[in-house]
Amino acid sequence: MLLRHEGFRRLCRARDLLRELREPPPSIEELAREVRISPFHFIRQFEAVFGTTPHQYRIQSRIDLAKELLGRGEHSVTAVCLEVGFSSLGTFSALFTRRVGETPSTYRRRVRAMVLVPGARLIHLTPGCLSLMSALPGSAFRQSLRNFREA
Amino acid sequence: MRIKLTSIMVDHQEKGLKFYTEVLGFRKKHDIPVGEYRWLTVVSPEGPDDVELALEPNANPAGKTFQDAMFAQGIPLAAFEVSDIEQEYARLTAKGVAFTKPPAKAGPVSIAILADTCGNLIQLYQPV
Repeated sequence: MLLRHEGFRRLCRARDLLRELREPPPSIEELAREVRISPFHFIRQFEAVFGTTPHQYRIQSRIDLAKELLGRGEHSVTAVCLEVGFSSLGTFSALFTRRVGETPSTYRRRVRAMVLVPGARLIHLTPGCLSLMSALPGSAFRQSLRNFREA
Repeated sequence: MRIKLTSIMVDHQEKGLKFYTEVLGFRKKHDIPVGEYRWLTVVSPEGPDDVELALEPNANPAGKTFQDAMFAQGIPLAAFEVSDIEQEYARLTAKGVAFTKPPAKAGPVSIAILADTCGNLIQLYQPV
């Protein structure tokens, strides 16, 4: 699949729209109309570029935002649920639990216990700078070091 | 001082592993759980075996902002050398990969740009 400049730009715009916390969220058909692609091509192209359907992308970005808000510990689970655009606490909790592996309140408690300094972020909550390396067993590096010495 | 490791941020590590191995064709080298994430690296089957690419979880909002902006601007965050760019383009397109730039000569190289399904654009290049 080859996306020319305009097509690519529209998909990026659609991704931004999917992240917006409009309530009720616009349907996929409405979004497709906004970026001027047919719903069929919208879903197909979105999946090829972002590896997931628009619907799944929207859910995941809400869960990611919920994790961030819960981790700050300043808001209740209910407040976070509403903030990320779910009107039903039950739906939010079930979805969150299925994707994250623990309930929103357990997640909130666990993460709060890890953050000792208010406002500080722990590396395992926000990895993305090779920081995970410090948590590896030594065996992860021995092999490559040996190869180097033998060379 | 040696360059043995580089990394790319992926929005989901399992999805990233699938794309970088099953689609691009790299081989998994390390997969070590670290909390809710993994230390996940791949190497090229064409070698060298000890130069690894880490698929880093991009859970940092600052990282996401950066990644999204670069993506929307059409800027690749990594480049891989290939021996036959037309063949790679045909092979990857057949696998459903989305390209934003088909192979084209650009000075001393031919380049093509693809979406890695994890939030990045990747440049393939073939020295000509």
